[in-house]
Amino acid sequence: MENIQATLHKGPAVEASRPIKMTSRDVIVHYGAKQALNGITLDIPERQVTALIGPSGCGKSTYLRCLNRMNDTIDSAKVRGQILLDGEDVYAPDIDVVELRARVGMVFQKPNPFPKSIYENVSYGPKIHGLAHNKQELDEIVHTSLRKAGLWREVHDRLDEPGTGLSGGQQQRLCIARAIAVSPEVILMDEPCSALDPIATATVEELIDELRENYTIVIVTHSMQQAARVSQLTAMFHLGDLAEVGPTEKIFSNPDDKRTQDYITGRFG
Amino acid sequence: MSDATANGIADTAAGRKPRRDIGIKKRYAAERRFKAYGIIAIAIGLSFLVMLMWSIFSKGYTAFWQTEIRVPITFSEEVLGTAEQANESQTKLLMANYPQLARDGLVQLLGINPDDKKAVSAANGLISSGTRVALRDIVMNDLSVIGRTEDVWLYASSELDSALKGQYDLSVEESRRPISDLQLQYIQKLQQAGAIEQRFNWGLFTSGASSRAETAGVGVAIIGSLYMMGIVLVLALPIGVAASIYLEEFAPKNRFTDLIEVNINNLAAVPSIVFGLLGLAVFINWFGLPRSAALVGGLVLTLMTLPTIIIATRAALRAVPPSIRAAALGLGASKNQTVFHHVLPLAMPGILTGTIIGLAQALGETAPLLLIGMVAFVADYPSTPLDPSTALPVQIYMWANEAERAFVERTSGAIIILLGFLAIMNVSAILLRRRFERRW
Repeated sequence: MENIQATLHKGPAVEASRPIKMTSRDVIVHYGAKQALNGITLDIPERQVTALIGPSGCGKSTYLRCLNRMNDTIDSAKVRGQILLDGEDVYAPDIDVVELRARVGMVFQKPNPFPKSIYENVSYGPKIHGLAHNKQELDEIVHTSLRKAGLWREVHDRLDEPGTGLSGGQQQRLCIARAIAVSPEVILMDEPCSALDPIATATVEELIDELRENYTIVIVTHSMQQAARVSQLTAMFHLGDLAEVGPTEKIFSNPDDKRTQDYITGRFG
Repeated sequence: MSDATANGIADTAAGRKPRRDIGIKKRYAAERRFKAYGIIAIAIGLSFLVMLMWSIFSKGYTAFWQTEIRVPITFSEEVLGTAEQANESQTKLLMANYPQLARDGLVQLLGINPDDKKAVSAANGLISSGTRVALRDIVMNDLSVIGRTEDVWLYASSELDSALKGQYDLSVEESRRPISDLQLQYIQKLQQAGAIEQRFNWGLFTSGASSRAETAGVGVAIIGSLYMMGIVLVLALPIGVAASIYLEEFAPKNRFTDLIEVNINNLAAVPSIVFGLLGLAVFINWFGLPRSAALVGGLVLTLMTLPTIIIATRAALRAVPPSIRAAALGLGASKNQTVFHHVLPLAMPGILTGTIIGLAQALGETAPLLLIGMVAFVADYPSTPLDPSTALPVQIYMWANEAERAFVERTSGAIIILLGFLAIMNVSAILLRRRFERRW
């Protein structure tokens, strides 16, 4: 607890009254007969890091996957409620899921670069979305994305080598570069550091902090230190419910909800 | 039980070792026994394989050599007509009595009196009557040969060939063997003159069906088989891969697709002769395609190969980690783009391996071809897949029915050729897999 408090004091200050990027109202998700989310209402502020915490199976990853409709790929998943991106309902019939996912990118738990070259990994997104009209533009996007992901210095002389040959932390940053190459507005991260060692984790966390300048980030994490270090807003999930949401500093120092308090003090989860 | 546990804990606490009654010796003995069973099973399997190979190779390797006799042939104008006549009309050349040329040459070589009918016929029995085609080809290719005398290597008759390969017991009395004493004398004479030789049997690879063993080969059958393999590849690969991609990546999981899946798996186990009946009923009787055609054979084998390719392709698609699909979808790739840009290339080695194995299976298939009339005596190369043709395994089947000694070795020889093709295909499947295999 003290540990987290110490982290908080060094952490970024919460900026009040940011515009809202994504809104969800009463989001209910069923996997077949099992209800995974019981009506989540949450606002995600623009250009801030929102951390979703909670014990395993509480629905935080499910909620994250609703935001860019990755749950569509699961046949049994049924989503109800409303999710708005800049006021537009992402589940509206006229919304194209391809375009949505270009605007709301995703980074997964395990680094999953394509078994192709580093260059092809980053250039794939811009290519399918027609963001570059010639080789120079494409090169430019790839280089910028790798720079933004803090990977440029390490890989600039071996862009033709397979992305799978990088270390775990580099692979995860490559996946982040790949996600930002399509110029998303929101980046969803599903436990992006759970497969990384502490040093790689620190690098990725710094990166997340930098990315906050330009992107709205939603991150699911099991590490409360991580949530405290990188996020400005924290949402605590419990058994499919949103237990509490508030500025990270407040959640970790003075939570209103008993469950949050128990969880962050390590009494369960 | 709980008492025992409590005692155990108490014992440990008191510093005494808990007694574990787990029968270590028994466990190890069971393990050793099981290993021994495995080794015995493998040994039995291997010994059968060795026996099979030994039987085929020991019988078949001689088929790759063929006895030939060097005969000075006088291409006389009496028999062939003059070169000028030949230029005008080839009818005479086509109809000429070439065996007479060969007979005359041999009689001269052996110094036999041409009026001694018995001796002449004995000598004539040493050379193949298939010389007609060989000599005609020489003359037709080069008319200037007419009127000259040239040494030509002619196929020996299959009796002489078999005798020299030691396949006949020559010590039995004359009337009970196909080679007479007089012929044995001639053979000795030829051997002394160095006019008889075992040469590599190219004819085995280039000739078609023949009632004479020495001029029979698998060339035509190989072409028929190649046609069918081509048709199978062109049809079964795209259809099979498309079906698998749809079933694996796009189709909703419901009772209907379950039913399809079960049926595909069952199709792989349907006896191949049933596919032959289907081919006969559908392709020949209904569509009116010609009998004995490689096209029909290829279509039937395609039906037979499809389940194999579909099962292999689906397994290969399923082996692509879901994280790759998630990565592509998360970037905003459509389902189609995800499959064709990422999943399919990664599954390709598995698909190709499955396809090659399916092709190898089709190459060795005989039963369905018998039903669509490909068990035919085809001496000429099929120029299109619609011409009558035969296939390698069917040729083997037909030769296996021949009684002559020379056909026995050729049957084994053809099996060796077929096994060679299968080995090449399987090795290329393994190489492909090694070359493109990826690990995650």
